[in-house]
Amino acid sequence: MLKGFRNFLLKELKEFARDPKILLGIVIVPLVLFSVLGGLMSYAMQSAEESTIRSNFVVINNDCENWSYTFIKFLSSSGSKVFVEENVELNDGKLIELLSKYNVTQALEIPKGFSANITAHAKNPNITASVKFYVHITTTNIFDATRYLPIDATISQFNRALAPDVLNIEKSTIIKGEIKHNVDPATVSGLMVSQSVFIPIAIIILLFYSIQLAATSVAIEKEEKTLETLLTLPIDRLTILFGKLVGSMIIAAIGAVTYIAGYAYFMQSLISKTTPNFVMDLVSLGLVPSFLGYVLLGASLFVTILSALALAVILSAFAGDVRSAQSLVGFIYPIIFLSTFALMYIDAGALPYALRLVLYAIPFSHPIIVSKAVIMGDYVTPTLSIFYVSFFTLALMYVASRLFATEKILTAKLKLKWFTKYGKTTGEP
Amino acid sequence: MDIAVEVSEVTKIFGNFRALDGLSFEVKSGEVFGLIGPNGAGKTTALRIISTLLLPTYGTVKIFGLDVVKNAATIRKIISYLPEEAGAYRYLSGWEYLEFMAKFYTKDDEKVREMVNEAARISGLGERLKDKTGTYSKGMKRRLLVARALMNKPKLAILDEPTSGLDVIHSYHVREIIKKYVKDYGVTVILSSHNMLEVEHVCDKVALINKGKVIAEGTPRELEEKFESENLEEVFAKVVKLA
Repeated sequence: MLKGFRNFLLKELKEFARDPKILLGIVIVPLVLFSVLGGLMSYAMQSAEESTIRSNFVVINNDCENWSYTFIKFLSSSGSKVFVEENVELNDGKLIELLSKYNVTQALEIPKGFSANITAHAKNPNITASVKFYVHITTTNIFDATRYLPIDATISQFNRALAPDVLNIEKSTIIKGEIKHNVDPATVSGLMVSQSVFIPIAIIILLFYSIQLAATSVAIEKEEKTLETLLTLPIDRLTILFGKLVGSMIIAAIGAVTYIAGYAYFMQSLISKTTPNFVMDLVSLGLVPSFLGYVLLGASLFVTILSALALAVILSAFAGDVRSAQSLVGFIYPIIFLSTFALMYIDAGALPYALRLVLYAIPFSHPIIVSKAVIMGDYVTPTLSIFYVSFFTLALMYVASRLFATEKILTAKLKLKWFTKYGKTTGEP
Repeated sequence: MDIAVEVSEVTKIFGNFRALDGLSFEVKSGEVFGLIGPNGAGKTTALRIISTLLLPTYGTVKIFGLDVVKNAATIRKIISYLPEEAGAYRYLSGWEYLEFMAKFYTKDDEKVREMVNEAARISGLGERLKDKTGTYSKGMKRRLLVARALMNKPKLAILDEPTSGLDVIHSYHVREIIKKYVKDYGVTVILSSHNMLEVEHVCDKVALINKGKVIAEGTPRELEEKFESENLEEVFAKVVKLA
């Protein structure tokens, strides 16, 4: 049974093992990728944990009676750093000014009558006191929703110590400089997280499609021996290059639209089953990009895909066939994974400077940075980002056009000396 | 007779390997010139330089007075190159492939149709031209590619092993077509071949190359006389052994 199987299997394994590109892709890249991803995740979790423990507040005390001071003391004892302002007439602008003054994102307002209500509660349990909790949402990542949990715990501890249900909390969210009253920040954050996961996944898929198509379309010309003929025809070599780039982009866009449509349907069906009474949406909160935002996001995606395509074309120029080209472009995937996953979990602005620079230097990070910025109404970051990625893409296009303009498109070979030596056979030629 | 191709002292170095080493020869206009030599002699490298695919490391190559380095774009309008291991786009039909190629030479639909009809006649593929090239046998594909190389009636056709993979009947057919094109349209042809019978039958002049340089040159008859051989195959064996 299966005569010759062992012999055949050995041949297959030898072929794979002696291809240095496959060895790199299968063994070394995943090891590096997962170590770096692990590091990023632990950093993200650690910073989320720290921000949860150290939830700093600005407390606006408009009551200035005994119970308000007791409550502030209680807040301070729970590990949070508390900055206190007294007798401030609050409006949208004033609140943001205070948050910015103390460099915090959360504020707690103790309204006038707070102490009186607590005292009255002892005689009439129907009378309760309340505080107003405000969260300024400026960015989003997966761990954001957990940041706002400590306040609930603090209130419930305060109630346990004093009297059940004596103190209520009214939560509001500040979005784009406007207070959305009675909108729970955790819910908003949850909604935004679903978007912050969806966009990177869609971008990863779009980039993967484009890269595969561009690399294959050049490599197949070599494998099927059509490139030599093509290069001797009276056609500008740049026409061939742009033909390949645009062709790959169109097909990738069709693929991406189909995929995103399928994914959106999938998400929709999940939401409708799990949250039938869900009324809040990002549109009503103003947390969707404006028309200009969409234009900037589209431009960012366009230049990023173009940079990925140019990179794929450059790499595939060093491959002799489709398999080699796919192995070579496989080296781009970890970079895409790392940058997109990092931005899913981490707020880029909170990273150490050197790491932030690395993340910004990777062009594939930028559509996510732009998508987050346009939701928040920030148009400066996207503009700078588009300029940077365009410059990067132009540099890549120049290299690709030089490869196509010279004989290198036919003769270039990637030399992986150490691996070639490692994979050498000891037999006679 | 004008000089169609002038190869002067061409050297091509790939890394540490010297593929051509001072190669020189001339091809007159309207001539069929054969490049013969053992495997690895540098025939394909020479043809790739003449067809503007590779650049010479040293030396010059001129096609009808145009330099292959400085005037590559102009040269590509008057030449046609058939690589030894050429392929066709597997998802295009034979017709579509020929149309695709013809449109690089003219924008006139009528002329495109003429070229494609000519190619259809040369290839002899008939109704099979409607099928995708991915379904063609090696011989059918080669016939399609030879037809593609000649359909635009180039001033210079560079054919690397034009009958490679063809059976006797089709090889004969292709050789006759090449001769007809030279005679009817004044096409100059440079071809390489391992088939000495083919070279003897088609070529007006032959250059025998080994280790990147010409070691013998002349008409097939001149070479046979010079090396006291009965046919070109014997000349080849003697010259290569001597070299």
